Amino acid sequence: MHATICNMIIDLVHNSIEAGATEITLKIEEKDSNLSVVIEDNGRGMNAETLTKAMDPFYTDGQKHKHRKVGLGLAFLYQTVEMTHGTVAIRSQEGEGTTVRFNLDPSHIDLPEFGNFAQAAVAMISHGFEGDLTIEHSVNKKSYTANKAELIEVLGDLSEMESLILLKQFIEENEKDILDCEAIFPVIHPEIRNQQSTIGNFNERWAIYGKNDT
Amino acid sequence: MAKMTLEDLRKLREGKKAEMTQRDSSDKSARIIIGMGTCGIAAGAKEAFDAFLDELSSHNVTDTKIAQTGCMGLCFSEPTVEVEVPGMPRVIYGNVDDKVARRIVKEHIIGKALVSDHIFDKPAADIIK
Ligand SMILES: Nc1ncnc2c1ncn2[C@@H]1O[C@H](COP(=O)(O)OP(=O)(O)OP(=O)(O)O)[C@@H](O)[C@H]1O
Ligand code: FES
Ligand SMILES: [Mg+2]
Repeated sequence: MHATICNMIIDLVHNSIEAGATEITLKIEEKDSNLSVVIEDNGRGMNAETLTKAMDPFYTDGQKHKHRKVGLGLAFLYQTVEMTHGTVAIRSQEGEGTTVRFNLDPSHIDLPEFGNFAQAAVAMISHGFEGDLTIEHSVNKKSYTANKAELIEVLGDLSEMESLILLKQFIEENEKDILDCEAIFPVIHPEIRNQQSTIGNFNERWAIYGKNDT
Repeated sequence: MAKMTLEDLRKLREGKKAEMTQRDSSDKSARIIIGMGTCGIAAGAKEAFDAFLDELSSHNVTDTKIAQTGCMGLCFSEPTVEVEVPGMPRVIYGNVDDKVARRIVKEHIIGKALVSDHIFDKPAADIIK
């Protein structure tokens, strides 16, 4: 299983890239009681038979990995959903595209930590595939959107260090902005923090982003 | 905290461009390719990517490109990273975690010396141009 939700998300976006998608949308909505993720692509899609197989853990198309005969990406997703009583739905139409949608309970004790989404977003946006990617990330009422084509228009080639540094700065600033929990929880009493794991989680993530501030 | 907009980003970019001196064409720059297959991701390829970015920028090395690729077929040594520095053999490193990524920047890209204990593969000397 992937150690973080972010790694799982990158992996699913890579499925879309590997399906030849030219348009990918990733929508992440974090609320205190629910984490919702939708990945929509216009890649080659799957027919009913492949879709059934793909939802079986360990199916792979037989081409991606020379030395490995099992596909792990969707299996990891199903495992996480099952373990934490979440929900998952995949809709796919051959030649049209695929939508993967899942919901997880942020307070479930077995849920892997969310991970560093700024790192994940920089890696996904700067991945050199021919196609566009739009990321929408919201935490409670705050959100931001990052679109690959627009960012390339502003920054140029995203494999260049100069562009990457600015891309990272842009994503981190926007992540900080939506994770800014001070506005929501001005003073967090230690006792309350311990009772509410979601708030603890907020703080931890805030600390990660805050570190780069100096 | 105010949100950073695309327009802010554009201004930053233009500021950087103005202070940049004219540089040689890009074929002189080093290239890092990170394997981002499922096992690469599971083994920490994203963290390695971030470590490269961080270490390169903290040493002001800006003439390097970072690219990503899918499966390199080397799950057992993920994260795998290919490094190409002009004038040096192309090398594939295995088990590149945050620390190793930072060493590759300091020793290989800046210091021009291979990080021998993490080399997974390098082409035979006679096929190097
Ligand atoms: N977005 C998608 N569009 C089209 N086909 C898909 C998509 N996602 C998954 N598939 C199909 O389902 C199969 C299984 O996917 P899964 O992610 O589990 O394994 P994999 O991608 O083959 O290998 P791994 O994820 O381990 O690299 C894929 O090989 C592909 O045929
Ligand atoms: S990603 Fe590891 S074998 Fe393909
Ligand atoms: Mg996959």
